[in-house]
Amino acid sequence: MTIGHDGLSRFMPMHLLLDASGCVISAGPTLMRVLEGQAVIGARFQDLFEVRSPGGAVTVDEVLDRAGQRFRIVPRHRERVGLRGLGQRLPVDIALGGGASEGGPSEGGAVLLNLSFGIDLIAAVREFCLTDADFAATELAMELLYLAEANAAVTRELRGLNLRLEGARVAAAEEALTDPLTGLRNRRAADLVLERLCAAQAPFGLLHMDLDFFKSVNDTLGHAAGDFVLETVGRILREQVRAEDCAARVGGDEFVIILSGRTDPETLQAIATRIIARVSEPMAFEGQPCRVSASIGIVRSLDLAAPDAVQILAAADRALYAAKHAGRGMAVLLASHGA
Amino acid sequence: MASETILGADMDALLLRSLQGYVRDTFGPAIWQAVCRRSSLAVETFEPMLRYDAGMADRVAEHAADVLGRPVETIWEDMGTYLVTNPGQEGARRLLRFGGTSYADFLHSLEEMPGRARLALPDLDLPVITLREIGADQFEIWCKSQLRGILRVLVGMLTAMADDYGTLCLITPDGGDRITVRILDSFHGSGRRFDLALPER
Repeated sequence: MTIGHDGLSRFMPMHLLLDASGCVISAGPTLMRVLEGQAVIGARFQDLFEVRSPGGAVTVDEVLDRAGQRFRIVPRHRERVGLRGLGQRLPVDIALGGGASEGGPSEGGAVLLNLSFGIDLIAAVREFCLTDADFAATELAMELLYLAEANAAVTRELRGLNLRLEGARVAAAEEALTDPLTGLRNRRAADLVLERLCAAQAPFGLLHMDLDFFKSVNDTLGHAAGDFVLETVGRILREQVRAEDCAARVGGDEFVIILSGRTDPETLQAIATRIIARVSEPMAFEGQPCRVSASIGIVRSLDLAAPDAVQILAAADRALYAAKHAGRGMAVLLASHGA
Repeated sequence: MASETILGADMDALLLRSLQGYVRDTFGPAIWQAVCRRSSLAVETFEPMLRYDAGMADRVAEHAADVLGRPVETIWEDMGTYLVTNPGQEGARRLLRFGGTSYADFLHSLEEMPGRARLALPDLDLPVITLREIGADQFEIWCKSQLRGILRVLVGMLTAMADDYGTLCLITPDGGDRITVRILDSFHGSGRRFDLALPER
């Protein structure tokens, strides 16, 4: 019985045929590409490959003896590409057409190994520029490559979907905390900031601001003028606070400004006075002057024994009340208050 | 969503997403917006990995046909071509090229397409495709799907893939579920190069 080299190569493009002494008689065309640049025919198995498993085996005889038939090897000059294989000693009466016959196997038969890239297939395809024609039609190489790419495509889509959903979530969350008219934070956002600062026992100052004469602007010039005033105040507040502060519109013409880390009375007073000065500057809506001012109550977290959001806001309310009583356009810091 | 388990819903998502890409890239975002408004859609972007009501893709395509003033069949065919040729969609073309080394091989691989797709997306209901070799270099492709547009999308993709392989052929939708393909010259052009390994990034 004889199988020619061509037949063998077609069925096993990665076969290796060794004589009884472990020297290469022939190798399949795909394996030849892996071993390119090496003198393959006549070379000893152990000079071409390093055996990874079974451990301790070096020669092909040791491989077959220890592993039975399955083994893992790497080409000595291309250690990145692992090969796994199956081997068999051939009975003496089976002749496989090899290259030049070196006097023929003297003791026992030849050894036939069939190799495959296993999981290193993708790396091997890239490294050796392999094509469809380098694999036997029965191999699942194409399917594995296909699957790897299809999976990558699906993962890419899912990642994209996640990003788009996350973007939408952030936008929705942002919207839920924003006052649409002024672009300031809303009451919910202010409450969240207060709760967070109180829970962390972080020091902060809080300004509670109420516009003066806002109602008369609304009544005489209409709601559009009122909205214009609120938008303008929103812009002023955004300019006057730092990024880490929170300026919120919490009611019709009521604002809360939370200044984290700011507890110096003079600083707080100065900020409040500056805001009142800016708000009191004349604004013109469609040529009509709208004049408003603001009263501000100031509290500090330090002045409360165990500050919580409710107490702080109640104290700020009292301070604002005191400011209103002191006359329009005033800022009052209520330092000691029984809470 | 109420129609979550309806057959073909996933294909609707893929078609809608592809239609969106094709119309936006080819005619501009404003036209796509007009299509969505005309279809009374709540959203203007479709997600390929979400499910939509069955038949939605065909409905939106009808509106696209109205807005663009071209037959819906042409829109689906052009979209099929776009899926293969658009550089941003290189993935689709590569997956199709795994079908074989020649255009005829590729045609033969069409029957395996649903199985291949299921490897990556187990719940995708790709149309059932059957290939009959009716003579030398002559094929009949039968494509059964609940989505009306699918057959024309396939025609567009087959046309673009013929170019990709450098093959000259006649591709004719025969109405109903059948497409006939006659290969006139397998080595008509040089075709596009295809490396099994993805170029390294």
